Amino acid sequence: MPILSVSGLSFSIGDHQILKNISFDVDEGEVIGLIGPNGSGKTTLFNVLSGFLKPISGTVHLRGKDITRAIPSKRAQMGIGRVFQNFGIFREMTLEENVLVALESLSKDQRGELGDLKEVVKGTLEMAGLTQFAKQKAGSLSGGQMRLLEMSRTFKTGKDLFLLDEPTAGVSPKMTHQISDLITGLKKSGKTALVIEHDLPFIGKICDKVIVLDVGEIVLHGKPSEVQKSKELQEIYFGADPTT
Amino acid sequence: MILPTVLGFNLVFGKGKILHFGQEAFAIVAAYSVWVAVVRYQIPFGIGLGLGLGLVVLVALLLAWLSFRLEADGFGVMSIALHLVFLAVVLNWQSVTRGSLGIPKIPRWELFQSLEAYTLLCILVVIVWVVFILWLDRGKFGRNLSALAEHPWHAQSLGINRKRIHTIAFIIAALGALTSNVLLPPYIHILTPNDYGFPAMILFVMIVVSGGPGRVWGVIAATFILMFLKEGIRFVALPPDMIGPVRLMLFGIILFVAVWWRRDSIFPQERKI
Ligand SMILES: Nc1ncnc2c1ncn2[C@@H]1O[C@H](COP(=O)(O)OP(=O)(O)OP(=O)(O)O)[C@@H](O)[C@H]1O
Ligand SMILES: [Mg+2]
Repeated sequence: MPILSVSGLSFSIGDHQILKNISFDVDEGEVIGLIGPNGSGKTTLFNVLSGFLKPISGTVHLRGKDITRAIPSKRAQMGIGRVFQNFGIFREMTLEENVLVALESLSKDQRGELGDLKEVVKGTLEMAGLTQFAKQKAGSLSGGQMRLLEMSRTFKTGKDLFLLDEPTAGVSPKMTHQISDLITGLKKSGKTALVIEHDLPFIGKICDKVIVLDVGEIVLHGKPSEVQKSKELQEIYFGADPTT
Repeated sequence: MILPTVLGFNLVFGKGKILHFGQEAFAIVAAYSVWVAVVRYQIPFGIGLGLGLGLVVLVALLLAWLSFRLEADGFGVMSIALHLVFLAVVLNWQSVTRGSLGIPKIPRWELFQSLEAYTLLCILVVIVWVVFILWLDRGKFGRNLSALAEHPWHAQSLGINRKRIHTIAFIIAALGALTSNVLLPPYIHILTPNDYGFPAMILFVMIVVSGGPGRVWGVIAATFILMFLKEGIRFVALPPDMIGPVRLMLFGIILFVAVWWRRDSIFPQERKI
């Protein structure tokens, strides 16, 4: 059974249809890349999957359970973790509180597996390499550090399906490596992830499959090597076919 | 004695950043249901308190429900409207509330007849309430509330149930209003609708804003300072007909300065997605 199954999903605001009949399955342990030009609806798809936007039609199943109508916090407790395009951290809280608030919001089962929360907080900050800033407000971090904090927090909190919205945007090459290591680590531990990215080599390195979205529709779906070679991608993504 | 209601209000408006201006709606329902029952209908205090508790929680649920249905500004207006509706009811339902005359001869409990004993009782209750609020503020509930205030989507994506946390916040604000308005009328032996007008609400906003929205100790300090100023003005040698306007002007200046000084924390930049 696929861990995530999306079928016939459409979403619109007013007359403007943003997602059109999106269907795909994700198997447990897969890392799937989601690419497409700006404004093609990638973030909107994540917002529908996490329950912030209600689709006008279609269904979403998590491990066979229909979650199309579930509220966002319920989905989170069922194991969906999210990394936001513009840093999902709380700038007014300290780094420790940022991690703690996430740990405390886990379902009882998830929390039970983790043991002492204080230790987990420490471990998470170590993983992000931010231990020395533990008592500072998260708003004082740089963009890359915020990203690392958010990623480590999301990965440590016992979720098993991750929605990562441009995890490497605005991050230095060195940190991109760190982040790609984090994602590969995830995959090794059997977790599943959907990753939105504009960095094609990065996608090629970490993903098993790629979905290409254009004006709200899935136009390509396949292995990274196949998709990268396709002419359609060149047209959609790079604007023109470089060979002509 | 207004500390419980102010701290309850601070939880919703200050820490939760919900535009709730209906704290005095709780107060009116609490004070009138308890003391009308006890004084006008000779119902035992315990039952009157139970009645007040039930009604005030009901109002909290109503406000919480409205806050989920309406945009922030719409809810702000609606909560003011609710306050004014309750005030109008109290003023006009004279057969029960005696309208603007208020309810005199509000008794104290037997053990606490003297002013000293009663004051001591109030101080004890307020201390218990402050400890309770501090405990909430420092704990999981406080963190959840601030996370939701800073970014509702980010918070919910971690598994925080917004409706649950906000409903609890409204209920605690209601309980604060109940505590304050059960304690205050016996202290002055009278319950009058004059104490529940819109200026009282403005005072709460002022206290929370100048104390620092969401900061428990700051709000406690601001409560003492502003109450001291409010009452202290009476002792300044001014002609009696000047006191009202001067007080209003002074409060206007304090509010202006406080809002100016705190503008970043009251109107944080909206961030979406
Ligand atoms: N709240 C909204 N109101 C109106 N239009 C919206 C709203 N949210 C998204 N859109 C529109 O939906 C389309 C898809 O937006 P979305 O943010 O999903 O794009 P994206 O693929 O994530 O782009 P990017 O790569 O730039 O992040 C855009 O045309 C955008 O203008
Ligand atoms: Mg996007």
